[in-house]
Formats: sequence, C-alpha cells, structure tokens
Amino acid sequence: MLAALLALVGLLVATYLTLFKIGVIGELVCSIGSCETVQTSKWATFIGLPVAAWGIGFYVAVFAVSVALTTERWEAARGLQLGFLVLTAWGALFSLWLTYLELFVIHAICQWCVVSALLAVGLFIVAVMDWKTTWQEASVMTSES
Amino acid sequence: MVSDQRKSKGAFWALLGAVAVLGLIAIAYVAAKPKSRGITEVDLKADPSQARGYLLGDSTAPVQVREFADFECPACMQFATLTEPDVRKLIDLKKISFRFYDFPLGMHRNTWEASNAAACADEQGKFWPMHDALFAAQDQWNGEATRNPKSVLKGLAQQVGLDVAKWESCYDEQRYRSRIAANRAEGERIHIGSTPTFIIGNKMIPGALSSDEFIRYVNEATAAAGRK
Repeated sequence: MLAALLALVGLLVATYLTLFKIGVIGELVCSIGSCETVQTSKWATFIGLPVAAWGIGFYVAVFAVSVALTTERWEAARGLQLGFLVLTAWGALFSLWLTYLELFVIHAICQWCVVSALLAVGLFIVAVMDWKTTWQEASVMTSES
Repeated sequence: MVSDQRKSKGAFWALLGAVAVLGLIAIAYVAAKPKSRGITEVDLKADPSQARGYLLGDSTAPVQVREFADFECPACMQFATLTEPDVRKLIDLKKISFRFYDFPLGMHRNTWEASNAAACADEQGKFWPMHDALFAAQDQWNGEATRNPKSVLKGLAQQVGLDVAKWESCYDEQRYRSRIAANRAEGERIHIGSTPTFIIGNKMIPGALSSDEFIRYVNEATAAAGRK
C-alpha cells in the first residue's frame, strides 16, 4: 500500500517536471544552479523523450503493479513481486545515475528531480522489504508442512 | 476481520484518491496561472556604460529592443531559431531596432569562445550570420559536445564566408575580450538574472519569448512611444 502511495506522489512529480520541460509550466531560461539548468541540459532527454516523461511511465507501471499486489488475486504472485523488485531496482539505479549527473556533470540540482530520486529509492526499499516478508512467510509455511 | 480489512482498504483508496485530487489541483493551478515573467522597468537614460552590443536595423526605429543572451544557452537558441525569423521581419519593416549583448554565463564552458568567435566575425561585418550559425550549430560546439570548440567555430567562420586567417588571428588573441566583458557588465548593471532577457522599450522581460509574446510587447512599447 505504501508503494502505491509513493508511486502516486512520484507520478505527480514526474507530471509536473514533464510539463515544465515542454514549457507549459515556468519559463524556459538559463540561470545558475536551478531546475532550468538541469532541464535545459542534454541529459534531460533520453531516447528522444524528456526524462520526466519516462518517469511518468515508470511511476504508472509501479503504481499499477503495487495496486495489483494489494488484491487477493495477485498478492501471493511471486512472479509479480519479483517483477516489482526488478522494476523498482531499475528506477532507483536510473535515479541515482541522474543525481550523479546533476552533482558532477551538470553542476546544478533540481529539487523536484531529487524528490523523485528519493521516491524511487524509497520504492525499491519497500519492494525489498515486501520480498523479504514473502520469502520468510514462504519458508515458514514450507517448514510447517 | 474481513470487515476490518475492507475498512482499511477503503481508507487506503480514499487516501490515494485525496492525494491524486490534491496533486492534480496543484499542478492545474500552476499550469493555468498566467506566467509572471517578472517584468521590471529599466531607466535607459541612465546608461553610463561603454557597452555597444551588436546592432541590427535602424537605430532610430520607434522601439529599441535589446537582448542579453548566452550563445551556449538552449533557451537563447530556441529564441534565435524559432522567434527570431519573425523579429527580423519587424526590423525590415523598421518597426524596431535590435541589439544583441553577450551575457556569457559561468556555467557554460564554451560560451566565451562563442562570443569571441562572433566578435571576430563582427570585425569583418558578419556578426549576424555568425550569430545565426552559432545558434544553429550549438549542439556541435557546446560544453557537452567538446572541450575544444575552436575547430567547430573555425568551420562556422568558413561557412559564413569570413577571411578565416584574419578571423583566426583575432580569435587567438581574443581581440574583443573587453567588448564582450563590457556587454556582460551592462547586463550586470541592470541586474540581468537569466538568459535570454529582453528590454523592449523600457520593460525588462526574461525568458525565450514566442513570436506572439514578442510582437505584443513591441506593440505595447510602440503605443507607449506614441503617447510621449
């Protein structure tokens, strides 16, 4: 449930950043040490799409999977849980790479990008904890039988 | 037990719904809010600087426009490639004159070299073709593309028809360094905070203006000039 909430907040942040990137929100300017610097750098685009738009896709996927995992039908599906773990691991790694670029290549920090990175890492931690819980429950059931 | 679980799931969905609705309202509010460009008034009569910028058009046109820009800034490139063709039409119609001032930002590695290249092109009367070529090829010489932009800039000098040997000796000795510094100092004097920033009439407007916005500000300045 916590994962769905984090994914939803991440989706809102990614939507805001995408609207900023395409010029619906804010000004397109160059100034020192700000979101504009990050958003106007070449790193703000990935395979032809704004990085924030990829973020929307990522959070939609995480939200869908985390909601599915709260339903009776899917909550015990190990494959889906593994998928959730891999998806959030990818999100966390990608976010850490972007934060590295901000700090050491672009030399500017966009606060909303940092919020998104924290959410991605938080989602990965939740996924790891869920996976561990399921693993422990499974091993208890195995030893009981 | 089952009822408790249903209640907690109900509360969970209500919480998600509330977060989604509040978030979307906040984003819609920010998106719908008119862009406050932070327009300020500038007293141009109190200009003590030696900065000349680079003039395009007739300096006696009814409205004087100045742009403070950084050749390596993507927003300046957007203005140069998307809006400036319409700006040139206003210049041809003698409605405005347009003056470009270098405002190289410290965060852009190769912007000084680009300003240097443009100043040396001006020596041969080709600042504006070089200005256009620099923005068109920004992704080839900017700090993300190369640490040594000279070879690309030299190619642009050739492309716009400069005497490349003369241009190169000017470029290497940075002959117009003080001119570029004076343009930047003028921007600092009037507190330019970002690029591009425009002064249209007596209004200072930051941001890569669209053609419609630019024409609207010019019309306002023309009307204000007519009232004087």
